[in-house]
Amino acid sequence: MSKKNKTEKSYFDRVHAWGRVSSITALCVLIMFPLSICLYLGVWPSLSGVMSGLMKLIPLYWSLAVIEVLIYTPMLGAGGTYLSFVTGNITNLKLPCAIGAMENAKVKANSEEGEVISTIAIATSSIVTTLIIAVGVLVFKPFLPAFTSSELLMPAFKQVQPALFGALAAGYFSKHWKISIFPILVMLGVLLVAPSLDAGTLLFPGIVASVVGAFAMWKLKWVK
Amino acid sequence: MDFKESTGLYLIAGGVILFVLAQSIFFLVKAWKQGKTLGIDKKKLRDAVTSSAVFTIPSALSVLATVIVLAPSLGLVIPWVRLSVLGNLLYETKAAGDAMTAFGQEGGISSVITDPEVFAGVAWVMTLGICFSLVLLPFVAKPLHKKVLNLGKKDENAEESAEKKEKKSSGIGGFMDLLTPAVFIGLIGAFVARAIAGKGKPETFGDGAGVLSVITLVVAVVASLVLEKVATKFKLTWLEPFVMPIGMIFAMVVAVVMYNVLPPEIAIFEWRG
Repeated sequence: MSKKNKTEKSYFDRVHAWGRVSSITALCVLIMFPLSICLYLGVWPSLSGVMSGLMKLIPLYWSLAVIEVLIYTPMLGAGGTYLSFVTGNITNLKLPCAIGAMENAKVKANSEEGEVISTIAIATSSIVTTLIIAVGVLVFKPFLPAFTSSELLMPAFKQVQPALFGALAAGYFSKHWKISIFPILVMLGVLLVAPSLDAGTLLFPGIVASVVGAFAMWKLKWVK
Repeated sequence: MDFKESTGLYLIAGGVILFVLAQSIFFLVKAWKQGKTLGIDKKKLRDAVTSSAVFTIPSALSVLATVIVLAPSLGLVIPWVRLSVLGNLLYETKAAGDAMTAFGQEGGISSVITDPEVFAGVAWVMTLGICFSLVLLPFVAKPLHKKVLNLGKKDENAEESAEKKEKKSSGIGGFMDLLTPAVFIGLIGAFVARAIAGKGKPETFGDGAGVLSVITLVVAVVASLVLEKVATKFKLTWLEPFVMPIGMIFAMVVAVVMYNVLPPEIAIFEWRG
């Protein structure tokens, strides 16, 4: 084995060793967050409430976690993968950042140079994002009470969800309009029958309809 | 003073944020050293840092805008930590809404948390709901990455034939590119459909589909589409990450204007009751 290959192997092994430690440590720190809130405020939420909330999230989020790990790991490189999954915002920030940096540096994603450039790009992006959010939060803090108690702004906060998901829908639906129509119609149909269904429950028939519809269109070669 | 804004909670959040920063700096230093060992030009390494930092600023500001939008309901601390560690906009908004509903706070993120127990419960649900990828990574990342590296080496020896490429895109692997958008469309679509045809509680304003929810939804969609077109047509790359937050905030401003301009019986009308 050449010296270069030896270095490569040991670097990758070391990155994975650091990554494993960092993932487990991050998991512990993350769990410490709600635990510290409980200890600080001296309150313990009911187990049934926590379980009921989790039951709505786990089927979707844990399946997505599996898909995301399988899809993103090959694109982000070893160091980039561990860092990205700790700091989040992968699709909208870390992935385009890593791809852009590798393109600029003219290196391949699955090469050792690509691994280094991708990790540097994602680490820089994580540091900049974390600092900007932290500074922004501390600057905005004094103005928050004025926002929450304002009668004038009340309708705006009552309509956060239509505003937020309307803006998100514009991006996704315009890019994938062919596969968007069917699930929307299915969900409107479900609401005609069961109008009180909340969005957290409604999204399950919605996702099933969306995936089945997209698969059928892909099979029929209507979409690529 | 609102308990959600107490100094102690900010110190707890600060600890989590410092951990994330330390981890990022650690990986940055290690990768930089490895780059030097491999003989990568220093300019290339520096360029990777500066281009990534510049690229990140607009998107980071859009994440900050989301933290601020969620703050009236959840306070600043939970959105701050959740969007700095592991989070993303879509997941966190849904998780917050589901968690609040689970603790009997109907209206989700349109309502304000006033009970510390609900606040703590929401923090638990949002944390445990999202952390599964960190459980998976230590087991999956290394074998998966090794496979990719081996494929990369094979690629260097032989270019993939056109026939093979065709086979790959027509196989089930080709559908994988559509799977994630399809899941996201189902997720986003649920909130869109709810704003058009969902029923709220008769005694609560703003939790059901009505004049104001549809106006807000349509304005958010149209404003975002127009901004996206403008950004593309005039090659305003700096505008692209702001399309979504500007569209969202503009729609909320229009909601306030319409609430005050329209006759009250129309402004608060919700057709499913």
